[in-house]
Amino acid sequence: MNSLPVLMGYLTMGFAAGVLLAVKALVPYAPLWSAILAFSAISGTLSFAIVPAIAASDPFYSIAVLTFAVNFRYAFYGFSMLGRWRGLPLLQKWFLVHSLADEIYALDVACKIPDPRKNRYYCLWNHALCAAYWVVGSTAGALAGAALPIPSRGIEFAMVALFLVIFTDQMKGLVKNHAV
Amino acid sequence: MPSDNTLYLVSVVATAWAVTFALRALPFLIFAGRNRPLPRAVERFGALVSPVIIAGLIVYSYTGLEWRTAWPYVAGALTVGLQLWKGNPLSSILAGTAVYMMLLAATGCAAVPVEHLESKASRPLVRVTTRGIRFQGQPVAPDEVVKLLEKNGVPKDQTLHVLVDEDFDDARALWVFQHNYLNRGGYTKALMMVGARRTLSGDARLKESETDGKVIPYPQLYTTP
Repeated sequence: MNSLPVLMGYLTMGFAAGVLLAVKALVPYAPLWSAILAFSAISGTLSFAIVPAIAASDPFYSIAVLTFAVNFRYAFYGFSMLGRWRGLPLLQKWFLVHSLADEIYALDVACKIPDPRKNRYYCLWNHALCAAYWVVGSTAGALAGAALPIPSRGIEFAMVALFLVIFTDQMKGLVKNHAV
Repeated sequence: MPSDNTLYLVSVVATAWAVTFALRALPFLIFAGRNRPLPRAVERFGALVSPVIIAGLIVYSYTGLEWRTAWPYVAGALTVGLQLWKGNPLSSILAGTAVYMMLLAATGCAAVPVEHLESKASRPLVRVTTRGIRFQGQPVAPDEVVKLLEKNGVPKDQTLHVLVDEDFDDARALWVFQHNYLNRGGYTKALMMVGARRTLSGDARLKESETDGKVIPYPQLYTTP
């Protein structure tokens, strides 16, 4: 499958996010919460950014503002999927929208299958598999972080590094498209 | 720990899900029943707003790092450089994080939560200032510290809290002090607490009058024993 690069990426990034949640936010039953968080908002950036907020016990409205800022870009992904996903059963469509994250979206866009039914079938499998990688990675990371004395000092840089990478790629894209 | 609260975590997860899902569902709501391409202006807006938000997040998240040292910037430059060169997000992130963690471990600058400090180390014996080292408020030479600690019966198998003034920005001098003096003297579990002066109370809040006369400048730290 085409999702192999995403498998590596999501397992590792999920793992890092899980470790972070377990050792920095000091959440009880961290693996459980890591899994729930990973599945409820399939968003790598948020899983990292939310850790300091949980550690500081920020109220839910701060979490809402943070989530809005971090995930604002997702509001633009759906536009290119409008036609392709038209007429799907509600539950399937709901799941596709629910799991419309960066890498998953990129794989959807890259899919050039002309037959609409096969194309949707591909999207559903892609979303289900990638979501599973992400949840498994996050849970394993939180298990490891809660159980092992992982040297954690400075591990919070992973989040900043993720932002830097996203920003670098966005800049690359802007320069390439002469949009600036 | 306030995050023990299950209800709180439920509210966090529910909020994160609701906002994320609403954002993702927005295009499907706006264009429900219609099939036409995205207006050019909206596309351009989206392409520009996202990087601005991410840039803001980068600046904000740097304040959670040891931003007074050079290390987050070194690791950040490495991350961006690798990403520009190889374009592999995973290796860029892993390399940047690993280098940052190693730099922190090598310089001994610890980021310790404030509540941790107040409970465990509100009265550190050793303090590093820009004007030299103090032992219980008295200026001492670096090589006297271990002798004084031993004389006061400070155990070597327990964490030794060392207060480092917020304005003491010489990471190399701190490293030399920790490794060449404390570690070689048997105090291998030294915890250098940076920038904690304002949060501490009592004895740790030293007055200038305690230092009168004898001032030992910190460049003496560079001399190895």
